[in-house]
Amino acid sequence: MTKYKTLLLATALALPLPVLAQEKGTIEVLHHWVSESESAALNVVRERMAEQGFGWQDSAVGGMSGANATQALRTRLASGNPPGAMQFLGYEGLNWNAEGVVRDFSEPANEKGWFDAIEPEVAEFVTADGKFFAMPINMHRQNWIWANKKVFDANGLSVPQTWAELIAMGPKLKAVGVVPLATGDEAWQIQLIFDALVTDLNGPDFYRKALVELDTEALSSPGMIAVFDTLREVRGLVDDGFVGRDWAVATGMVASGEAAMQVHGDWAKGEFLAHGLKEGEDFLCFATPSKTPSYLFLIDSFGAFTTRDVATTAAQAALAETIMDPEIQRAFNRIKGSIPARSDVSVDGFDSCAVKSFEDRAAAIENGAMLGALTHGFASQPQFAAVFADVVGQFFVTDMTSQQAVDMLVNGIANAM
Amino acid sequence: MTDISQSAAVPGTAPQRPAATLSARLARWLPRLVMAPSFLVVLIGVYLFIAWTLWISLSSSAMLPRYDFVGLEQYVRLWNTPRWHTAVINLFLFTGLFLGVTIALGLLMAILLDQNIRAEGVLRTVYLYPMALSFIVTGTAWKWVLNPELGVEKVVQSWGWDTFAFDWITRPETAIYCVVIAAVWQSTGFAMAIFLAGLRGIDSSIIKAAQIEGASLPRIYASIIVPLLRPAFLSVIVLLSYISIKSFDLVLALTNAGPGGSTEMPSTFMFAYTFQRNQMGVGAASAIMMLMTVAAIIIPYLYSELREDTHGH
Repeated sequence: MTKYKTLLLATALALPLPVLAQEKGTIEVLHHWVSESESAALNVVRERMAEQGFGWQDSAVGGMSGANATQALRTRLASGNPPGAMQFLGYEGLNWNAEGVVRDFSEPANEKGWFDAIEPEVAEFVTADGKFFAMPINMHRQNWIWANKKVFDANGLSVPQTWAELIAMGPKLKAVGVVPLATGDEAWQIQLIFDALVTDLNGPDFYRKALVELDTEALSSPGMIAVFDTLREVRGLVDDGFVGRDWAVATGMVASGEAAMQVHGDWAKGEFLAHGLKEGEDFLCFATPSKTPSYLFLIDSFGAFTTRDVATTAAQAALAETIMDPEIQRAFNRIKGSIPARSDVSVDGFDSCAVKSFEDRAAAIENGAMLGALTHGFASQPQFAAVFADVVGQFFVTDMTSQQAVDMLVNGIANAM
Repeated sequence: MTDISQSAAVPGTAPQRPAATLSARLARWLPRLVMAPSFLVVLIGVYLFIAWTLWISLSSSAMLPRYDFVGLEQYVRLWNTPRWHTAVINLFLFTGLFLGVTIALGLLMAILLDQNIRAEGVLRTVYLYPMALSFIVTGTAWKWVLNPELGVEKVVQSWGWDTFAFDWITRPETAIYCVVIAAVWQSTGFAMAIFLAGLRGIDSSIIKAAQIEGASLPRIYASIIVPLLRPAFLSVIVLLSYISIKSFDLVLALTNAGPGGSTEMPSTFMFAYTFQRNQMGVGAASAIMMLMTVAAIIIPYLYSELREDTHGH
């Protein structure tokens, strides 16, 4: 009985909270952030909205790296009932803008200098023809290597400066029963190694030519063959249990010392911190080895769908300003593990990996090596990015030759044009 | 659709009498009224959307539907995609093996269970139990069982047989057989249940007569009982074929179409192209190809069944 009473009491206490915040209007936000740190980070935005008197209707659709949420959005749009705001990845914002269904925020953007607060590489995905149609909140870097420091120390290893050095560490680690590189067989986990190799081996200009412009000559060049040759050697670093392995499980292997390294984006940091590990003492984060270290970025942004509802329109404007607030971006990203999408937020209060991310981004901008990450849809449209995923995923698990992979890539891209 | 109109027409012969009362008129219209809502739902929910998909497959639709006409361009693109070829080969390989193995095992188990053994009820429940699970659960469990670092291979090796290898799921050329294994595990009990019901329905006097004639037990099964199970075979084949064509969730949970796209099925292909790769036209074209494949099997079957009916079978 007492159990029921507490339950009833808890329900009664929980009820009035959302009602309080709905005086000025409520906005429904469709996103795919369902993990603990993700929703905790989003709470920063939600609370600020509540302080301003706006309600927040949370529509979280998790799964398949946001594909499920995208599908939900299409259905909602097709039935004429879009959410107030939606999280965009990759080209989605641009594509919805081209369809003419998202709202333009150029007015507050001009007034508050949003155009100047973001890098031109980021602006490509959130602005078009003077319109500011999506508010970028965070920036992740995809080409990190996460390493177990104790394994490195015990085997006398140091941070590799080239991919050849990294591959050469393999036999030594295998001899002591450590998996040199942890990954899953999912195409995207392998593709992010591929992305890193393309720019690490051939430079940022080649990356832009091959993966952004989809230039046939670059795609079939010896440089691309070399990328696949190296990827074949990387395969030798991975154990056989990689089928169906989740990325977080692979991160767990590095955290426990079962594996030495993982090439992964900085959302992996949360897994280490969740194990109670410390950067510099227990684990290391460094960029994939290259002469010109690149910064393969991905951003999450929020766009708003045009609506006649006055209250929603007001809430959309408030959401846009909240997301673009430097202090909100700082608070959000400290929890999420990423860094602010605005480049004018100071590094105060961020952890050491994030500080490194700030520094590397500044260096990469200077070297022209800040590039959109192909795997997460920031280099080419989904139909082309998927061809890369197909070929790279298949190459990694079969004994296809590099030449065959390159041919398949060229044909696949041509077929998707 | 033809059988609906036929069944509706049969009571129509009743009010031939001159004084057609209200109840007789109602009796004439009631079947049509009762059938109308479901007929409408099927008409809109199935046939209208088939037509819509056909239209999309002939358009240049990418992220959103676009209502133009580009001819067979999307079909050309579809058949130029190596992934689609893998999907088609996998569908036939999977369907053939899945049906063959499930029917063979299900029939064998049904025959063994039919020998008046003890605790038959318990065994029947045990064998039928996997059917109660969703394919997602089956796929996830078998993913672990088949994983060489976690499952069967690891267990056998820890028993001392160091060279034992069972890593099919990691190899693209064998991964599809893992999907077959999981699907067979799930559906064999179901096939067994139908066969067992069929076996119980066979008149025991036929078997006794054959025994008096001196036929051996295998001979009785091969020449009398199995041929008598024809209706059970038909139900099993139709139900299993339908499971194999919609085997979307099992593949997604077990291999996620991997490794390297080697376990792609038409259904996973259609989903990926329509909703993830912004190539709705290609996705629609693949859906139409699936429909044609099903139609190529079902239409001759329906035709032969309906013809038998008119002969008073």
